[in-house]
Amino acid sequence: MMESLLSYFLVSSILFGIGVYGVIAKRNAIRILFAVEIIINAANLNFVAFSRFPPSPNILGQTFALFSIALAAAEAAVGLAIILVAFRAHDTVDVSQLKKLRG
Amino acid sequence: MTTPYILMALLGGAALLLPVLQATTVERFTRRSAGYFTIAVLLAALAIVLYPVVSFTAESGGPTSAVFKSDLMALFFGVAVLLVAIFVTITSLEYQQDDPNISIFYSLILFTSLGMTMLAFAVDLLMIFVAWELMGLPTFILVGFRKKDPASSEAAVKFFILGALSSGILLYGISLLYGVAGSTNLYAVVDAMSTLSPALMPMGVVAIALLIAGFGLKLSAVPFHMWIPDAYEGAPTTVSTLLAAGTKKAGFVAAIRVFLISLPLFQMDWTVAFAVLAVLTMTLGNVAALTQRSMTRLLAYSSIAHAGYILMGLAVAPFTSLGIVGALFHVLNHSVMKSSAFIAAALVAYKAVGTHLDSYKGLALRMPFTAIVLTIALLALAGVPPLNGFWSKLVIFAAAVEGWPGVWWAPWLALAGILNSAFSLGYYGWIIKRMYLDEPGQTSKVIEPIIFRIALFIGVLIIIITGIYPAPIYEFARMAAASL
Repeated sequence: MMESLLSYFLVSSILFGIGVYGVIAKRNAIRILFAVEIIINAANLNFVAFSRFPPSPNILGQTFALFSIALAAAEAAVGLAIILVAFRAHDTVDVSQLKKLRG
Repeated sequence: MTTPYILMALLGGAALLLPVLQATTVERFTRRSAGYFTIAVLLAALAIVLYPVVSFTAESGGPTSAVFKSDLMALFFGVAVLLVAIFVTITSLEYQQDDPNISIFYSLILFTSLGMTMLAFAVDLLMIFVAWELMGLPTFILVGFRKKDPASSEAAVKFFILGALSSGILLYGISLLYGVAGSTNLYAVVDAMSTLSPALMPMGVVAIALLIAGFGLKLSAVPFHMWIPDAYEGAPTTVSTLLAAGTKKAGFVAAIRVFLISLPLFQMDWTVAFAVLAVLTMTLGNVAALTQRSMTRLLAYSSIAHAGYILMGLAVAPFTSLGIVGALFHVLNHSVMKSSAFIAAALVAYKAVGTHLDSYKGLALRMPFTAIVLTIALLALAGVPPLNGFWSKLVIFAAAVEGWPGVWWAPWLALAGILNSAFSLGYYGWIIKRMYLDEPGQTSKVIEPIIFRIALFIGVLIIIITGIYPAPIYEFARMAAASL
């Protein structure tokens, strides 16, 4: 049993790593948004795996995953809208090109 | 007990109603009245939050299995964030009056106020996360509210990326915590932690590191501060007020609850982390503020420095009860001081005098009322007695000194705080010198709108009254800290 939890956890850790790498290394705002979505999905995988396997299986994790899927969708909607507006104003979605504001 | 649910119905209902009102009634009617409606709703919410305080029906400390707990701690933060929301709304009556989507603007302010108050009441990781998102999502839109302004949309992209990353990391940290504890209730997490097998311990430590990073992003602690000044500068200045004085403070309530209630077993791990973060954050905030040429950026860096002072209170919290009292006291004071300073800056920018520090030259002659208010607010931020900022900084530094037998670095922490505080007087004093001693470029008087005067007057009144007679608010903070 524990082995299967471990494999889920391994996958979610790798996903989390990919997400953090994407946020840090990529300059395209859409890619960064996708990287954040990967982090959120890594967490969702954790929630579902922890709610299914020992040490303490219970239904709470699945509830949490459902909530976070809904919130991630809302976040993506807001994020894409903001990036779209920024694209209209700047003609780019490259965050390193967005440097009007610099002290 | 029922307070958070009433707030949800009131704020959420009003937030949903506002766009409908705009769509169905005459536009001329809704433009002003939407603002007054929002202020009325926020005042009602403030009354609802204050009612359990004055009637002594707040829940006492101790575990609960519910998702909300309306203890004094929650009520204290509720008062702080609702005060800021009211300031912002009053100012927006004038500042945003030409905006075609003004009802949406107020609706988003109500949604984020609801998120902030829910966060104050939440004692379940699930509810903390939901409130965190409810607080964050409307602010991303508010920052980019001026669609035509490239600076606003740039600020929104940067702020959104930071905010989304913060909630992603927070969520992953929560998922690990759920994995080791098997529950999302903070009190159940404590119980599970105390019987944790050593094999799971590393996972718990990683979970805490991720939670610190997630909260740190929202609190703009070093090293997560880099885009925050950009966001504050590009956003409409009233929205910057909401971010600096409101949502950031609400982030602290979640941090305080999570770390003080649920993780007593890892004390050493996170107190040192918080102490290092605190020193770095306040030093960087103050040094960077000194080099700024734009008022909003300067205030943004100053609010980073103040986040450092509050983190200092958190760092010594396990060793002395004064730590949390000082942090809470400073949260409320900083909300008022920073709101007043930002609103004054918003007024100067709104009247097209500018945001560059040189445009503040001789401001005392052009806008006498604003100059006086800004002077008082800046002196309070610097911690000059007898203003409110002095007392809360005093409590925090005293707490750091008192933590000494517990940890060897506590006196150094206090020293770093005092040096920073003295250093900050340098750049605040410089602005005051520009306003009063320098010759103005133009000498024409600038009209100060009555709505701004009201907001500024209330802010300064609170600063001075708290400064002269801090006992009631200190007592409120002390009881709130004891109710954890």
